[in-house]
Amino acid sequence: MSLISRSRPAPPPTRGASRPAGTATSRILVWFRNPRNILLAVVALVVAYLAVVPAGTMVVASLQGSFLSADKTTWTLRHYGETLGTSDFWVLVGNSFAYAAATAAVCTVVGFGLAYLVSRTNTPAKFFAQIAALVPLIIPGILNTVAWALLFAPRTGALNVLLRDLHLPAFDIYSLAGMVLVQSMHVTPVAFLMGTAAFGNMDSSLEEAALSSGAPPWRVFRTITARLIRPAVMSAALLMFVQTISTFEVPQLIGVPGHKFVFVSRIYNALQQFPTDYGTVGVIGIFILVVASVGLYFSRKLGGSGAEAQTITGKGFRPTSIDLGRWKWLGLAAFVVFFVVAVALPLLMLVWSSLLPGYEPPSIAALHRLTLSNYSAVLHTPALTKSVTNSLITAVLAGAVVTVLSSLVAYITVKTKARGRGILDGLATVPIAVPSVVMGVGILYWYLTAPLPFHLYGTLAILVIAFVTIGLPYGMRYIVPGIAQIKDELEEAAAVSGASWLRTFRRIYVPLLAPSLLAAFLYTVIVAFREISAAIFLYTEDTQVVSVTIYTEWANGSYPIVAALGVFIVVFLAVIVGLVSLVTRKTGLNRNRH
Amino acid sequence: MIEIRGLIKRFDGKAVTRNAVDNIDLTVPEGQLVTLLGPSGCGKTTTLRLIAGLERPDAGEIRIGGKVVYSSDDNVYVGVHQRPIGVVFQSYAVWPHMTAIQNVMFPLRSGQKKLPVPEARAKAMEALDLVGLADLADRPAPALSGGQQQRISLARALTREPEVLLLDEPLSNLDKGLRDRVRDEIRAVQQRLGITTVFVTHDQDEALAVSDEVILMEYGQIVERGPAQQIYARPRSEFTARFMGISNSMPGTVTACSDDLVDITLPHGTLRCVAAGDLVEGHQVNVFIRPESLSLSRKDTTGLGWKGTVEFSIYHGDCWDYHVRVGDTLLRSRIYKEKVGLSHGDPVFVSPDQETAIAIPVGTPAANAGTPPLAGTATAG
Repeated sequence: MSLISRSRPAPPPTRGASRPAGTATSRILVWFRNPRNILLAVVALVVAYLAVVPAGTMVVASLQGSFLSADKTTWTLRHYGETLGTSDFWVLVGNSFAYAAATAAVCTVVGFGLAYLVSRTNTPAKFFAQIAALVPLIIPGILNTVAWALLFAPRTGALNVLLRDLHLPAFDIYSLAGMVLVQSMHVTPVAFLMGTAAFGNMDSSLEEAALSSGAPPWRVFRTITARLIRPAVMSAALLMFVQTISTFEVPQLIGVPGHKFVFVSRIYNALQQFPTDYGTVGVIGIFILVVASVGLYFSRKLGGSGAEAQTITGKGFRPTSIDLGRWKWLGLAAFVVFFVVAVALPLLMLVWSSLLPGYEPPSIAALHRLTLSNYSAVLHTPALTKSVTNSLITAVLAGAVVTVLSSLVAYITVKTKARGRGILDGLATVPIAVPSVVMGVGILYWYLTAPLPFHLYGTLAILVIAFVTIGLPYGMRYIVPGIAQIKDELEEAAAVSGASWLRTFRRIYVPLLAPSLLAAFLYTVIVAFREISAAIFLYTEDTQVVSVTIYTEWANGSYPIVAALGVFIVVFLAVIVGLVSLVTRKTGLNRNRH
Repeated sequence: MIEIRGLIKRFDGKAVTRNAVDNIDLTVPEGQLVTLLGPSGCGKTTTLRLIAGLERPDAGEIRIGGKVVYSSDDNVYVGVHQRPIGVVFQSYAVWPHMTAIQNVMFPLRSGQKKLPVPEARAKAMEALDLVGLADLADRPAPALSGGQQQRISLARALTREPEVLLLDEPLSNLDKGLRDRVRDEIRAVQQRLGITTVFVTHDQDEALAVSDEVILMEYGQIVERGPAQQIYARPRSEFTARFMGISNSMPGTVTACSDDLVDITLPHGTLRCVAAGDLVEGHQVNVFIRPESLSLSRKDTTGLGWKGTVEFSIYHGDCWDYHVRVGDTLLRSRIYKEKVGLSHGDPVFVSPDQETAIAIPVGTPAANAGTPPLAGTATAG
């Protein structure tokens, strides 16, 4: 890609009157004499590499006759024909879509419903709105899944025991309905946040105008509020759909025991078999990739057209409440129920299980057996402490790399007129559209097959690469607005004062951006620490990270250890999340965005 | 006709010691346009929203057209959608998913009595005609300019033929040129229909231009009320004087009184002023003089001029503003006549016009309670 440009701060001296028009080559040579341009070009290449490799490898694998074998490479569409021709595949499609669509529907309805209550009515639930921003961050999906599996374990699950005591039929969590329930609990807070943002962006005088036109509240909701919020609802639903269809934990832990296979679990299990059918894995991977890209494309498009509702808000803007009268307590009750179910139950379940030598449902009798031995076991098992260390190392490294990369990319895309900066911006956001599973498998394939002078498979580096790629879009989201707020004049003033570009970047941008940089760093650490959908394909014995350990310990049946480790993770993430919100609040940055 | 008695609205939150709207009594006579004027945060918009029912008062009574819509004593609260009102918002609030005519038809199709579509359309067209937008009826709302959107908003507020029209800073989101046109339009329509109207603004020129009566508010209370001309020419409080742009003020003492004229001794001489309120000899007053009432000359022809020096001058196109230091005070004089330019350091004589300056007793309460008039003491100019 070409980044050749007439950039504002240090224009390359190509237009001198005395200078004869140089050849293309000489112009490029001149351009590279500027260290700033070299740095920017390198950054662009790195980002392009990170963004293109996983998906690209996936495409190649799906098109090769026999990927990863000693035979001569042949190109074929055979895998597509074979995979798409089986009824097994279409059952998979049916399961995956049913699972993702039902989850998207449930969490969007619940999330936006709660968001409406908190941002448009006088339901006294502002407190919950603040908690909701933090919950999905501190309870990783894998822990949510584990907790729900314990709550609804067929015979001994706490809630099933309760149901049986009430003479109600037990709930079989190992089913499609169970998968939808567990995944909904995890993503609803995100839908809720998107909902509060959407309602917050909507000028409430649009509703007041309808009220004062004589329309009763329910009619205002139907003809104005619901109609204006519709694009945001669709956008959120699509995003939830994509997120659901591309994550690992629920399909594997809940779906597989119930013999409900979806794309992700099918890919994982295909890769566990020998000989591995790389072609089929590739085709399924490409299929998810396409579904995710189409979904995200329309999600963005709809989200964008939601801007029509934002017309002008002016200084008269003040979000107001519809007075629910006594009904507001019902609204509050909805919040309490939701938070008890989605947050308190799973967390309490984890804590409870972590305090018992073996899993059993809560009871008075069990109180005598409470013990801290699981915690000390976690601290004294080398394999477990090693996975925590691995997670910390990879997360911190990924955080640092993402922070540096995304600040440079943000600089290029926001502050220079470099040709191709739009493409660079696009590349940096590509990883959002690549499902983590595809990311994991693609990276795995690449480093197994690419003729590189070094071997990364089996090292922590390959995990760092995956986490950097996944974290890059999030880093950008923190840093781009930060850098956009810094006026060009500040850089120009430094240049006029005689500072070189590197010095300007270090002395002007870095200090001014410090809060954004810190937030991007911490947020990437959180994302990397929780990540499992890609890591599950990339770990080896020595490079196990903590999320993977939770999964393997769970598969071994060591539930109390899983629970104790889970409690450690929640506490650790809560501390980091606390830091992030402290940083963002102190500096007036936007709330955590997901 | 709107009647308000003892209206109180508290601020949300505990740390606030004063009320957003603090015990307001107010009557808007049938067919009149009354402006609520004041700096931001004075409670004018809150008052309007309480009349509309968009917010719920904490105490008091509101009647619209004789009918009680809120009363804390009788525990009456009529919801927004049941009040006979039309509201125009600062942000237009034109629904972006509808065309112009759909916006205007909405009140006719959604209110308590619903008109059939053809009838509603005909009435909406009338309203659009009234604001001169009939030929844009089928445009999607976002395709209209700010001024057009605000006129749609006005048509929408009027189409239901409400008893009262409530306008919440309807002009402040518009460009300067457009502002005057929409302002004129609003006043023209209001007078043609004879509709009782409350107009909220922070712009005194706007208030003077459209009002039958101006009500000045500060700290949630009414400071002064009266016809526009009276508020402009004869303010009775320092807050009003400053807010209406009388930027020169000097302390003085009353030496003689006759009717509503008083002679005041100032640091630089004496001046015959209009008295605001009852004054007797020896009273301490502040004298407020409009910049237009100070004329400048190089020579003291009358012998009454105050000697000063020019600090700096500002050229406005149709006039000059000279800032002249007289003793310790910096006076602003506005000169419309073509004049030989004076510049920094030039000595001049300032002659105030007799009987135009206003003498206001020192310490007139800014409002009817003892809240310190912070905004009022800020030096103007």
